[in-house]
Amino acid sequence: MGVKRTVATEKVDLFKKHHAEYVAPSKPQLITVGPARYLAVTGRGRPGGEESQAKLGALFGVAFTIKMTRKFAGKGDYVVGKLEGQYWPDPGVPDPFDPPLDEMNWRLMIRTPAVVGASDVKDAVAKLTAKGKGDRADEVAVYDVTQGVCVQMLHVGPYDREIESIKRMLAFAEPQGYTYGGPHHEIYLSDPRRVPPERLRTILRLPLSKA
Amino acid sequence: MKPVTFDDYRERMLRVLVFIQQNLDRELALEELADLAHFSPYHFHRIFRGMVGESLGAHVRRIRLERAAQRLRSSDDGVTRIALEAGYQSHAAFTRAFRAMTGTSPSAFRARHRLPRFDTTPSGVRYEPSGGVPAFTPRDSGGASMQVSIQHLGPWQVAFTRHIGPYDKCAPVWEEFLARMGAAGHLGAGTLFIGMCHDDPDITPAERTRYDCCVTVDDDFAPQGPIGVQTIPEGVFAVTTHHGPYDALGDTYAKLCGEWIPRSGRVIRSAPCLEVYLNSPESTEPEELLTDIYMPLEPR
Repeated sequence: MGVKRTVATEKVDLFKKHHAEYVAPSKPQLITVGPARYLAVTGRGRPGGEESQAKLGALFGVAFTIKMTRKFAGKGDYVVGKLEGQYWPDPGVPDPFDPPLDEMNWRLMIRTPAVVGASDVKDAVAKLTAKGKGDRADEVAVYDVTQGVCVQMLHVGPYDREIESIKRMLAFAEPQGYTYGGPHHEIYLSDPRRVPPERLRTILRLPLSKA
Repeated sequence: MKPVTFDDYRERMLRVLVFIQQNLDRELALEELADLAHFSPYHFHRIFRGMVGESLGAHVRRIRLERAAQRLRSSDDGVTRIALEAGYQSHAAFTRAFRAMTGTSPSAFRARHRLPRFDTTPSGVRYEPSGGVPAFTPRDSGGASMQVSIQHLGPWQVAFTRHIGPYDKCAPVWEEFLARMGAAGHLGAGTLFIGMCHDDPDITPAERTRYDCCVTVDDDFAPQGPIGVQTIPEGVFAVTTHHGPYDALGDTYAKLCGEWIPRSGRVIRSAPCLEVYLNSPESTEPEELLTDIYMPLEPR
């Protein structure tokens, strides 16, 4: 109605803009990841379980509400990114790459332009809450991270066979003087709700540090 | 009620195919053909395309061309007269269509006096001067074994905005709609994104197809500007997932309506089919897109 909007300029797509950070090679490859801003929510327990499903819905609700609010206000348009996730076990777990899933810590995250800030999140949570759609939305927060040198590859298959790809990535990185340096990171290209496990495509990323 | 079997479907479709061949000289209305075999006119076209492997229009055109080819061989009628009989307004239009099907012009074809053999007969149905249809094998391009579940679903209270025009031009309408809905806080966890297809794009001219962009809302949502409210009624649906780009949805519809449903013992209900979009076309590669198709069925 009365809202004037600027004519849409090119829509920002961070996945395409940062193409080098989202390569999906079939063999491990070293990449460097610069500063990145995310909307994120953390939790604990089995990935894909009840808590992560509820928080995933809240994360997408906040992400879309911020995007649409900015777009509608003429503040520019961008693509709400693919879902990403980070996973880390409790300290002292015998095999950090194969920990008990019920005790897994995780962060679900959607990459977002750096112009999006905490006040956008606050507004979106208030709006969703007013419409009765705010369940767990107040747990969504801005998360900034710079991962630096990482090893990355495409994993095709069920999530519970990622360990095989992770071992390949470590076997590739370690002879080059690197060691595991931060939470295991995943970028979801497929949607597990309908895609059979053997066809799931997931980018795996291990942040590295010099041994 | 007697259960509907695959043979019933086949027999009914055969009735339509025979009727077409016996009435090639006149207008063949979709409603008439559907009625003849007790198919719902609403979804008849999809059933036809799925079972026969080509659209109704393409089938009739091809059969008329096959008849024209026979006449070129067996009569001395002028090409223009044969063209008119085949439903073409001009010699030139007929020649174009004939060449597209056979790779040769009508007069060259006649001169060579070849047996007419068109390559495109997906279901084995050919023009028969006797007026019968001896061979009709309903297609199975894998649709018989597709994963389909029958579910009682709905009702859904939805906010919607209508797009009239080609389905593949609905993206800007969705964008505008979602911007308004999202900015007002209506897109939260559990929101369903539903496309409601009122017309079959194989029959209704593209510029007149009606499509509603819908998102589920609470009962107290009030219409505003171009955004209306409607209730999509509950009912029984055949549900399957289309994997891949939206421009290939028609193939999944054809398989569902023409291959799976005829073997299921179920009958399609006259109501719009629904598409539920599970991921965002903005951030998802086309081959990773997932769309659930809800095809309305008559209750048992």
